Amino acid sequence: MPKKFIEILEEGSGQIFSKITPNEFREHMREKVRNAWRDKRMDIKTAIQQFVHDGDYLTMGGVSFVRLSMAAVHEMIRQKKRNMNLAAGTRTYDFNLMLDAGCVKNIDCGYITGMEIFGIPYMTRKHAERMIASGEMGIAEYDNASMAWRHKAAAMGIPFLPIRNMMGADGFKHSAAIKIRCPFTGEELVLVPAIYADVCIIHVHRCDIYGNAQIEGALNEDLGKSKSAKRLIITTEKIIDTDEIRLAPDRTLIPCFYVDAVVEIPYGTHPTNMPGMYYVDIDHMKEYVAAARERSTLEEYYDKYIFGVKNFEEYIEKIGGKERLHYLEDLEHLRVR
Amino acid sequence: MRDRDYNIIELMAIIAAREIEDRAVIYIGTGIPMLAASLAQHMHAPNIVPVFEAGGIAPQMPTLPTSVGCSRTTYKAIRTCDMPEIFEMAQLGIAHYAFLGGAQVDQYGNINSTVKGRYEAPSVRWPGSGGANAFGSLCWRTMLIMNHEKRRFIEKVDFITTPGYIDGPGAREKAGLPPGTGPYRVFTDKALLDFEERTKRMRLIGLLPEVTLDEVIQNTGFELLIKEDLKQLPPPTDEELKVLREKVDPFRIVLSRGDKNSKEEN
Repeated sequence: MPKKFIEILEEGSGQIFSKITPNEFREHMREKVRNAWRDKRMDIKTAIQQFVHDGDYLTMGGVSFVRLSMAAVHEMIRQKKRNMNLAAGTRTYDFNLMLDAGCVKNIDCGYITGMEIFGIPYMTRKHAERMIASGEMGIAEYDNASMAWRHKAAAMGIPFLPIRNMMGADGFKHSAAIKIRCPFTGEELVLVPAIYADVCIIHVHRCDIYGNAQIEGALNEDLGKSKSAKRLIITTEKIIDTDEIRLAPDRTLIPCFYVDAVVEIPYGTHPTNMPGMYYVDIDHMKEYVAAARERSTLEEYYDKYIFGVKNFEEYIEKIGGKERLHYLEDLEHLRVR
Repeated sequence: MRDRDYNIIELMAIIAAREIEDRAVIYIGTGIPMLAASLAQHMHAPNIVPVFEAGGIAPQMPTLPTSVGCSRTTYKAIRTCDMPEIFEMAQLGIAHYAFLGGAQVDQYGNINSTVKGRYEAPSVRWPGSGGANAFGSLCWRTMLIMNHEKRRFIEKVDFITTPGYIDGPGAREKAGLPPGTGPYRVFTDKALLDFEERTKRMRLIGLLPEVTLDEVIQNTGFELLIKEDLKQLPPPTDEELKVLREKVDPFRIVLSRGDKNSKEEN
């Protein structure tokens, strides 16, 4: 018997929807990174067809109404992706649209359905309640911190991380976390399992054709997420020259060898906020929350903005085109109220 | 008595702001906590460090943020980072205060923002923890803002999303949470409350202007402790209102919620 052992004190009963496979991931990365210098540009339709599959564990970048890859979300809905497992820490509008469109099977929940100051869309809340109560959607309970650390653990190449929250909370019982006694200090710790996701989608300010990406503003969980998914789609406001990247290497937050696809989509996060570029389209958010009060108006919303357009460029025209976008740019830079 | 020339959101933000001490690191949630922290910063607490979970540290908020990650939370900040770093700072002991909302609270300050009713078949599913569980577990002192209603201030919360003192003195430490942490203040539309040192139970320490003791008791679903020298809190000063309206939330992003007496849909 070893002198020291780790005593397991309590185990949550929640399911693990992702994989905890550091060795398999190492093998995957060993080959994947050989494509570092491939020109990865493609359109969003191709990227979603090629890299997002039914039943995948999907994790998305951004937070609340900031830097959500809405062009990718629209495309996944149009392509009718099904049975997705979703990392749902800090999710709002992107998650809601996918849930109501029938894309979602299981979730690791940190925060769902809420739209912060805009309230909770009624139909979405009812839909989530129905799916959870009937067992149609599996759910495990976490919080934004433990979800962020689960992604970070995977990005570190390890199977779990010890953390100091979740104890004393009912969420623990409905998670896949484990409470142990620390072999060094004797104190109690919670271990949360790593999330090695199948696919990750992140919207960035700029990157080169290989995917070397720069992001401004709050980073949320994006550093961990971008490094721990088998496939990574970068949607970007702009593609820049690699020389520009090399001028300021400290600004590169995602190096190209993690990246599988680069999709240039200006304003690709509308109606959410692109820090330093354009602000949240508050009127559009209100329109969405109001539409979500009834099934018929919510369906009209989807028809108008997602199914009724071929691509994001057409969507941008629907929301008011350049004039609207310039207003949101003025709003971001405090030139108008 | 003159007519009230302020709304309830303004009043709650001002009462909360007065409790914020200078030179403290404060982790801030969406809504009234943002108002209170920003007001305190403009008034008596210029040296606080506001922190936002998505990665904004000490911004100079030009207008009120619409969410905990929007560009107002990183505007002229001293650093932007990612979420693990923010929560690791709290785990490290840097965060003096957490400032949260919730849907239900009980006498030990346990907060529920997950489900109403039984977990397996809830009558309402709320968004869940968000940052709250880690804030309330890792920050030294947790401050909570909620509407004071009997259905929200209940004997036992349906689900502990964010642990308070759980079931009494010593329970947090026994559960394995960092020692010396826990709920500190509760701000409502009727009262100011703290937690009595010996029992860790919620205690009424101040009544908002024009609110009676009876009104608070009627709207609380558990037996409140009441401080001996219970105070009626002074109404907002002209200066507090002026700064709140002109500097903190000039576009009335959150303040307007009090204008038409509109309540959250929860």
